[in-house]
Amino acid sequence: MSEPLLSVTGLVKSYPGQRARSVDEVSFTIGRGEVLGLVGESGSGKSTTARCVAALVRPDSGSVLLDGQEVTRARGRELRALRARMQMVFQDPYSSLNPRMTVEALVGEGLIVQRIECTASARRSRVIELLELVGLSADHLGRYPRSFSGGQRQRIAIARALAVSPELLICDEPVSSLDVSMQAQVLNLFRDLRERLGLSMLFIAHDLAVVRYICDRVAVMEHGRIVELGHRDQVYAAPVHPYTRALLDAVPLPDPRAERARRAAQSA
Amino acid sequence: MSLLRISDLRVSYPGPSGPVEVLHGLDLDVEAGARVALVGESGSGKSVAARAILRLDTDAALAGSIRLSGTELTGLPAKRLRAVRGSGAGLVFQDPLAALNPVRTIGWQIMQPLVIRGVRRSEARRRGIELLGRLGVRDAGHRFDDYPHEFSGGMRQRAVIAIAVIAEPKLLIADEPTTALDVRVQAQVLELLSGLADERHMAVLLITHDLGIVASFAESVVVLRHGRVVERGLTDDIYYRPAHPYTRGLLGAVPRIDADPSVRLATVPPGTAAADAGPGDDPGQPEMPGEKQNETESP
Amino acid sequence: MTGPGATSLTARLLGRPAPLTARAGSRRRSPVIERVAVAVVLFVVLIAIIGPWLAPQDPYLVNLPDSLQPPSMAHWFGTDVNGRDILSRVLTGARTTLSATFIVLAVTTAIGILIGTAAALAGRVADEILMRVCDVGLALPPIVLALGLAAALGPSLTSAVIAMIATWWPGYARLVRTVVTETRDAEFVEGARMLGVGRARLIFRHILPNSLNIMYVQVTLDVAAVMLVISGLSFVGVGAQVPSAEWGAMIAAAANNVQNGWWALLFPGLAIALTAVAFNIAGDWLRVRTDPTLRGR
Repeated sequence: MSEPLLSVTGLVKSYPGQRARSVDEVSFTIGRGEVLGLVGESGSGKSTTARCVAALVRPDSGSVLLDGQEVTRARGRELRALRARMQMVFQDPYSSLNPRMTVEALVGEGLIVQRIECTASARRSRVIELLELVGLSADHLGRYPRSFSGGQRQRIAIARALAVSPELLICDEPVSSLDVSMQAQVLNLFRDLRERLGLSMLFIAHDLAVVRYICDRVAVMEHGRIVELGHRDQVYAAPVHPYTRALLDAVPLPDPRAERARRAAQSA
Repeated sequence: MSLLRISDLRVSYPGPSGPVEVLHGLDLDVEAGARVALVGESGSGKSVAARAILRLDTDAALAGSIRLSGTELTGLPAKRLRAVRGSGAGLVFQDPLAALNPVRTIGWQIMQPLVIRGVRRSEARRRGIELLGRLGVRDAGHRFDDYPHEFSGGMRQRAVIAIAVIAEPKLLIADEPTTALDVRVQAQVLELLSGLADERHMAVLLITHDLGIVASFAESVVVLRHGRVVERGLTDDIYYRPAHPYTRGLLGAVPRIDADPSVRLATVPPGTAAADAGPGDDPGQPEMPGEKQNETESP
Repeated sequence: MTGPGATSLTARLLGRPAPLTARAGSRRRSPVIERVAVAVVLFVVLIAIIGPWLAPQDPYLVNLPDSLQPPSMAHWFGTDVNGRDILSRVLTGARTTLSATFIVLAVTTAIGILIGTAAALAGRVADEILMRVCDVGLALPPIVLALGLAAALGPSLTSAVIAMIATWWPGYARLVRTVVTETRDAEFVEGARMLGVGRARLIFRHILPNSLNIMYVQVTLDVAAVMLVISGLSFVGVGAQVPSAEWGAMIAAAANNVQNGWWALLFPGLAIALTAVAFNIAGDWLRVRTDPTLRGR
């Protein structure tokens, strides 16, 4: 059993003006090649947790160890090196891409900043490789984000994240803003990439069905705390915490008979 | 006679080079007390249809017929249309924050549909508080005088529902009423809608992309894609015997809590305008799906 | 949990599809009027550039016997109280008025962008200090400062321009600060930070290019305002002085003698009015054209 890739311990973050902590002593680990789902309702603190792990926000206390290196105190060159190892995919495909940059510039920026490829032509081939990896093509290089659909923009965002060959992908509600059809495509893409590249993922979502499709283990957050954490099948089939149970009961099933049965059981 | 009968409804919005039709001939019937779901993804035209019924967009050009309790709505003069809104048909929007006036109390807004119909303020207030309580707002008497920003998301949506139903409309049009809500609140709100509909024998036209809530709420389903109906039928038929490949694809593409996670999600077959070809925007956009957005940004 | 319906400034700047509710109620001007306005703007700018060469007569030549001649074949716009040809003065004055206007706008825009960006990005302390400096500038009306400078340095177009610059830049600084603050928190900026993009690149490649849209439009709208203030300062005597052909000064000179020479007032007045209106309409057209949420209107 190797060391976990990501080790979060006692993470705390509160914002001025808020009575309660956004993130209240959160701890979890993610192994290599493992996907951990983080579910919760709005205000549960899952996004803030993600941003602390990603070093976009500095936590008040606690530690985030990426392969043994402390992320929360890293700065400058050390931080930049860490950044190459974990990347983030955001929720909103419309605001997560700089509208004034072409697809090539967007996907290639990581290569420039992390000094991965030295020549423009090497960068371009790598960008094309990445685009093809996510189901786009070289035809899309010179276009701007606004001419793409939401699902395609998310693919561009994923390609951008993968450019620096991260080991950990942090996904903050990456499919919540997408239509059902595009959501399915992007979710399948995540599964494929995870298999091909051996990615570890911290996958945040409010949709329990989506999380179940992608994740190996699940953590449930409520009011800044993790109330349940376990393997996927166990959490979904036999939840321990009442909050988890309440969440699962509330998820609507796209199955009229099952819904009727559930309703009958509830009123019984 | 149906409560709501829509025949060959076509809706066009002004575009950069002339009007663009976004809804191509919708036929839809809602019987009194029925629950019909209008299902589609963005760009399908479902919200356009909802807004067209009550003529909410002044720049929308309508063709075809919309009959509510026998009255033709499409040519109706503004004054009579206003009378219909609220007592003929009520409308619940997706975003309660945008639907509520931030500088008026919730109570004032709930009372408005009654007050403008001549109901005395004291009576309107009594009915408003009663309704708000019925919708699950604790301490409704006090909260009646709060402002929207003092309510949580779920509470706001209850307020919006109260505003929509207080004048006892026969039809409630709910446009993505729970999309902005957490899953538990969503379940509660749907329960409430269901209860209200049963109590008042009120028909509900539920417009949504969420196949989960449709399964528990609606009796019949109409599936829209790119402004056209691709399939319609009873809920059970649609879910268990979907005929159209788009419907089948849609159902297969939804991740389910009770499904085997190793089974891959289905992908939706491309249609006349492939799902991935262009911006899949809200039908309000004049551009047809598949077209590139060609506005230039400033230099 | 938020669907594609945000109406924040950043969202609009990034071309997010507009929610249906945002569209109801806007009206569009007749495209004919807009085209005419843009044509007038271009025409006026052209005159500002080549006006002096177009002038049929010397705009500064005093010719008292010809004082206050009504418009005629010899003088299309008539002459002023000193016998100077008004047409020539209007044409020449275009350059004076407009170049003063553009200098003010160019300098205040530059200062505004610099200070606004610094306030938004350099931390809370810097922000507080810079905003208090802005407040000082905003508290001072241009005319008060212009009067002060006129008293100290003698009235001239230069002192008016300096007074304008000193009191106009805070408005832009505030605007830039607001937009940059919002853009700084945008997800695409976070995405760039995740890649390891350094501060300089973040500012110049990501934040600024997406923040300055608003400035282009605001500046176009302000041309009319600034021009009116400069002319106004000249009108009250603290700006351009006689014999300068600045339009505001021309109106001041003609105001005393309206009953004898209405043309001396009318033509420079028309010039100011038409230019101001044209720039306003053109600015509005530019705003509508570059705001992605108003597409199709």
